[in-house]
Amino acid sequence: MTSRSKWALAPAFFAIAIAATMLSAYSGASSSQGNSPVQPIQFPHPVHVKELGMNCLYCHNAANKSPDPGLPAVGTCMGCHTLIGPSRPAANGRPARTSEEIKKLQAFAPIGQPDKWKEIPWIRIHKLPEYVRFPHMRHVNAGVTCQSCHGPVQEMAQVYQNASLNMGWCLTCHVNGYQLSQGLEAAGDTVGAKAAAAAEPKKARYDCAVCHY
Amino acid sequence: MTQNTGPSGVKRRQFLKVLGAAGAATTAVGCTNEQVEKLIPYLNSPDQTVPGVSTYYTTSCRECAAACGIIAEVRDGRAVKLEGNPDHPVNKGALCAKGQSGLQGLYNPDRYRGPMIREGGKLVPTTWDKAIDTLVQKLGESRGAAANAAFINGPDSGSFAGYLDGWLGGYGFGSHLQYDPGADLAVEAANLAGYGVAMPKLDFASAKLVISIGADYLDGWGASVPQQMAFADARAKLADGPRVIYIGARRSLTGLNADTWIACQPGGEEAIARALLSAVGGNGGTVAAAAQASGVTEATLQGIVDELRGTKPSLVVSGVSTPGAGVIAGLCVDINKAAGNVGVTVKPGEALTGFGTSVGVGAMQGIIERANAGTLKLLMVRGVNPAYDTPKAMGFAAAMAKVPFKVSFSSYPDETSELCDLVLPDDHALESWGDVQATPGTIGLQQPVMDRIFDTRASADVMMMAARKDATLAARYPQKSYRDVVVARYGSAALTAALPKGMVSGNITGRAAAPMSVPAGAMGGDGEFFLVTYPHATLGMGEGANKPWLQELPDPVSKIVWQSWVEIHPATAKRLGVAAGDHLTVTTASGAVTAPAYIYLGIRPDTVAVAHGQGHTRYGRYAENLGVNALDVLGATWNAAGGLALTQGKARVAKAAEHSQLVTLEGSARQHGRGIGQALTVAELVSGATTEHHELPGDASHEFLPGLRSPVANDAQGDLGDPTSKDKGMYDPNHWSGMAKRRWAMTIDLARCTGCSACVTACYAENNIPTVGARWQGRSLRPFHTADGAGWDTRPGANILKGREMAWLRIERYFEGGEDGSSEFDTRFVPMMCQHCGNAPCEPVCPVYATYHAPDGLNVQVYNRCVGTRYCSNGCPYKVRYFNWHGYGEKERRQYAFPEPLHLQLNPDVTVRGKGVMEKCTFCVQRVREAENLAKLENRELQPDEFTTACAQACPSRAIVFGDAADPNWSVAKMVENSRGYHVFEELNTFTAVVYLKKVNHPAAGSAAAAVPAAAAAPAQGAH
Repeated sequence: MTSRSKWALAPAFFAIAIAATMLSAYSGASSSQGNSPVQPIQFPHPVHVKELGMNCLYCHNAANKSPDPGLPAVGTCMGCHTLIGPSRPAANGRPARTSEEIKKLQAFAPIGQPDKWKEIPWIRIHKLPEYVRFPHMRHVNAGVTCQSCHGPVQEMAQVYQNASLNMGWCLTCHVNGYQLSQGLEAAGDTVGAKAAAAAEPKKARYDCAVCHY
Repeated sequence: MTQNTGPSGVKRRQFLKVLGAAGAATTAVGCTNEQVEKLIPYLNSPDQTVPGVSTYYTTSCRECAAACGIIAEVRDGRAVKLEGNPDHPVNKGALCAKGQSGLQGLYNPDRYRGPMIREGGKLVPTTWDKAIDTLVQKLGESRGAAANAAFINGPDSGSFAGYLDGWLGGYGFGSHLQYDPGADLAVEAANLAGYGVAMPKLDFASAKLVISIGADYLDGWGASVPQQMAFADARAKLADGPRVIYIGARRSLTGLNADTWIACQPGGEEAIARALLSAVGGNGGTVAAAAQASGVTEATLQGIVDELRGTKPSLVVSGVSTPGAGVIAGLCVDINKAAGNVGVTVKPGEALTGFGTSVGVGAMQGIIERANAGTLKLLMVRGVNPAYDTPKAMGFAAAMAKVPFKVSFSSYPDETSELCDLVLPDDHALESWGDVQATPGTIGLQQPVMDRIFDTRASADVMMMAARKDATLAARYPQKSYRDVVVARYGSAALTAALPKGMVSGNITGRAAAPMSVPAGAMGGDGEFFLVTYPHATLGMGEGANKPWLQELPDPVSKIVWQSWVEIHPATAKRLGVAAGDHLTVTTASGAVTAPAYIYLGIRPDTVAVAHGQGHTRYGRYAENLGVNALDVLGATWNAAGGLALTQGKARVAKAAEHSQLVTLEGSARQHGRGIGQALTVAELVSGATTEHHELPGDASHEFLPGLRSPVANDAQGDLGDPTSKDKGMYDPNHWSGMAKRRWAMTIDLARCTGCSACVTACYAENNIPTVGARWQGRSLRPFHTADGAGWDTRPGANILKGREMAWLRIERYFEGGEDGSSEFDTRFVPMMCQHCGNAPCEPVCPVYATYHAPDGLNVQVYNRCVGTRYCSNGCPYKVRYFNWHGYGEKERRQYAFPEPLHLQLNPDVTVRGKGVMEKCTFCVQRVREAENLAKLENRELQPDEFTTACAQACPSRAIVFGDAADPNWSVAKMVENSRGYHVFEELNTFTAVVYLKKVNHPAAGSAAAAVPAAAAAPAQGAH
């Protein structure tokens, strides 16, 4: 290629750069990483997960059997919160307390009046870009901890989007392999993480049509 | 076969790097435009459902009388797909286009949202309480005298018929009528008299010779799925299969699937049937008389007569639509009896019990007379549309206007319901309980597969609610709803056990009356041409016209969509100076219709034909103001069983001034030597003459090696195909992912394929393919195509006229021979979809790598990479790539293809493509992934033939086989080795993953075509 023909390419570069700028802006190829909306009920994940030791799958019970993790039905919340009301008496050295959030929940689902129950309009945080399929069950059953993608939810007083959810981020695991120790670390399981330190990274298929169809 | 583009060329990858560099500079500019989305949880989780995972319910298809068993796939509470029930004795897993379109009846955007009442001359919404009170009041006013009321229902072989009669009887009214304008009542009556059943099983595979006298058993006549299945099984016996002769004035789809067409003059069928009866020893007529009456040469008829005499077992079926049909049907019963076919090819013991309960226009005449006489006080109509589908000459609508109070139970606004005073919209069959007699001893169960979407009520429940408000009747209806009636009928435990199978043993008693016997009409009319009308293969007598899938599904014969047409022979067209698309006016004593001419080889030169189904004035947005209603030119003439004669005699035909382009998906009717649809004769097959011309160059098993082991894929993969490359990624067969161990492939057996097009609708349903032919969808950004240049292109099918159809799978239909206008031509049906070429011409031309070859053999289209250059479409020799010219999936655009609630049908596993994106057949990649996911979850390998594509699943002919051709345990791996196999356009070196198996023709013994070719002779007709 002569230098002359190189210069001739310059306008083409500019044209492509402009086109790419517009495309990228139009396609919304950006991330909502860090997005942390205020939910209709300030559900405290740390209390449920860290203090009470509840498994993620207790509420998000479809995550290991469906592409869609599922949201807990209002009835799932009320399974406990019919008994666990907003007022907590002082006990075991803890002071008495009134939970505004449980009040809100019971306003959505009045005890003993199931015909008056209303849906809780949760605000969506994690949303993959268009045209891509993410089967939750394949990841959960492969041993990928929820926190590997969703971040340390057990610490999040208000849930935020931890990862970028962009394709390059997906491919870091699919191509280089998923490190179980890192996943367990994120889940707060330092003991397990140490034990798994030597584990072989788990790779996954990265052909386009595995996810895009 | 080069891996390098040469020193001066720009490789695709280099171009991509350039694009990447330019893009990198812009990443900071991106901004977020996401809106706040809500996630709405269940209040309480329903049992047995997992969000995002389908639940499957068995039920019965109620789109026609055949009563096929179906399985409805329900995702998150909404039915998203209907498939045949593999265990059902009627359809064995297959489902026709009509059946699949049941979903578009359920989600039809024009359905009544709730009850309506006439106030101030207009139908206005009302409440169910008020509607039922009104019904109760009117029932009370008319009660007591049987003549005061009439109830017209659709065909229903279930126990609802008895329930309905019981309800009517409670008010002192007579039994209801089951009106079916499309039913062949003459044949049902003759069969009942001759065989004891209305519709015996036709066992084509046991026959050596099939003669159809106008019986269009592949066009919707009778029970299309089981008949088609039996027919395809017969054809699949190849040399041992039957030879098929079709006798009729027009070559229907059934006729096109016959080996010989006898172009018989309408009205001449009876003489031919008599000659055939003589041939098998019955008291019939002479060949000379038959030739005289039918306009067919004596030699030709003598040939058929001799064939019938010399071939056992045979099968003779009648389906003539002239007024004398009853006589001919009776003669055919006699022929089968005399030839010893009963119990061999005609099996009354395995009858289709969905038939034999309906009446035709002969019975409607009685209602019209009562209405005109003023004795009819209350008319109730459910599931039928007599104001549209009776001949206008009978004056049903005018007579109906004289009835003081009319009630409709229709789910959809139609010509009849719009004349009614009270509309009590019925639940759809997929929302309600019921049953239907499927086969002798088997009852098909019908259960709601989802909650109703609108404020509708099952008619049975409405009747119950009305009766409970009546002091004398209330005690007869202690149940809460019709569901309890069904549960009580079968027993709660038995029903619970039977529902997963969808059927229960037993027979339904209290069925509607047998066909009536009335004086038959006579052929008549003046004019130069015989006029043949026929039910549209998928729109039927008009009931399918409000479903966009069926409107967009090309008529299997003419390939025309969204339009009516007049079929005319090329010689006649030439004589009249008519070109395709010139309007023809067909006039009879009853009226006139004008529609564009379709020049068709398969019609007698002295005959014109018009299909029914279009010309609705009120049947929702997809049906209205399209085409013409062929019933406008028919008189009140029926056969001896009271069924409407669709061929009534002569008509005048004149060229009109207008011209409109035919909305057709036909490119060319001829193959031009391209060898797309290939065939061989039985003689060639038996002699093995064509094995010398095996169309697969080299060794088939070698070609279907997956990944980089295939030299073909090597070539297609550019850098990855470089044999010196160290990292071949997933294309390496030893890659840990194992992806390159598979090669997804498909075989299509043209000996089985009848061209019915059920696969096309299955593809639309599975893959969220938008229909694009509705009037408003033709409106583009810029007005054009009008004389003044200021209007919008609102022709029906405007997008299709511009070649913008989206049919991922289409059926090519080609004629071979008959260039001189003779009736001796052969038809090839070729399902055409993305061929998933090993060496795809579309792949290297894509500048953005949006289409590429996956390691498992799929030609992949990545929608979010596609920028819509359409280079790939230019490169594709099969023309199977489709471009989204408009935002068919975008709600805010006027071309939106899924107006609410049609969008509820969309398959959640498949992307709804946006504007500017190229798309094509994916080999149902979502099903591949779903099966892989399931296997992985169950910690096992994918099993051979574990799943299949939507087209193969639906195919009533079982012509399509899909699977992994690289694994010898899959059926498809054996099928690709078939000696009849060939690739389309293999000379282009595309190495497709679709292998077609040649059609096998059975020419008449002694004809030139039947001769055994010399081993070195040229390949069969149609090969290149």
